[in-house]
Amino acid sequence: MITIQQETFSIELITEKIRRSSKNIGAIVTFVGYVRDFDKDEHKKLFSMKLEHYSGMTEKILADIDKKANSRWALTATEIIHRVGELEPTEPIVCVAVASKHRNDAFDAARFIIDFLKTDAPFWKKEKTNKGEYWVDDKDSDHKQKKSWSRTSEKS
Amino acid sequence: MKVDILFFASLRELFEEDKIKINVDDDMSSPEELLQYLAKNHKGPWFELLQKRKNIRVAINHNIEDWDSSLSDGDELAFLPPITGG
Repeated sequence: MITIQQETFSIELITEKIRRSSKNIGAIVTFVGYVRDFDKDEHKKLFSMKLEHYSGMTEKILADIDKKANSRWALTATEIIHRVGELEPTEPIVCVAVASKHRNDAFDAARFIIDFLKTDAPFWKKEKTNKGEYWVDDKDSDHKQKKSWSRTSEKS
Repeated sequence: MKVDILFFASLRELFEEDKIKINVDDDMSSPEELLQYLAKNHKGPWFELLQKRKNIRVAINHNIEDWDSSLSDGDELAFLPPITGG
């Protein structure tokens, strides 16, 4: 299931919901991304972050990523939650939870989903810091991470 | 040909609009041609967008497409600044 929402989420409740959805789940892997303040060596302080997205396209892209993950690995359930709006340091931003019979499918699919979400789902972050407000730039490392999947052999 | 153009994040701030409707000749067949034309004739933010072009992706009707892909009447064209979710 794919959800874009302003309010926060509980990873415990999400895990519980997935667990109750089937008796054939042997593994649940969850990834949660949080808003972090900067390290001291980054010489700035984050006050808050504003997240916006392209409504309609975001849901479509995430559904496509979810579909690809489901065709590549044997998954029992997937949950993708992404928050938008104003967020403060330590708040959760994104959750990817994947359930499968065996752990490898859940581990691989969770990483696949977050890697593609990072580069393809139209979300944008604006950081408010003590050095001013600015839109965050994308990272080469995220694009490399996504590309690494095209070199990975198909698994079933 | 009528095309809805959407701007997000830094581009919305650059254009001071989130959506504009434009009417262009039917031979304006791709986002690339459209941007070249608007940058040449309207300058301002269009010219600035052209300068940033290599960091911008385009979406047509919610699908990420190439800059030289075809545009049709009624399409929703979005210029996407670098994506930074997650």
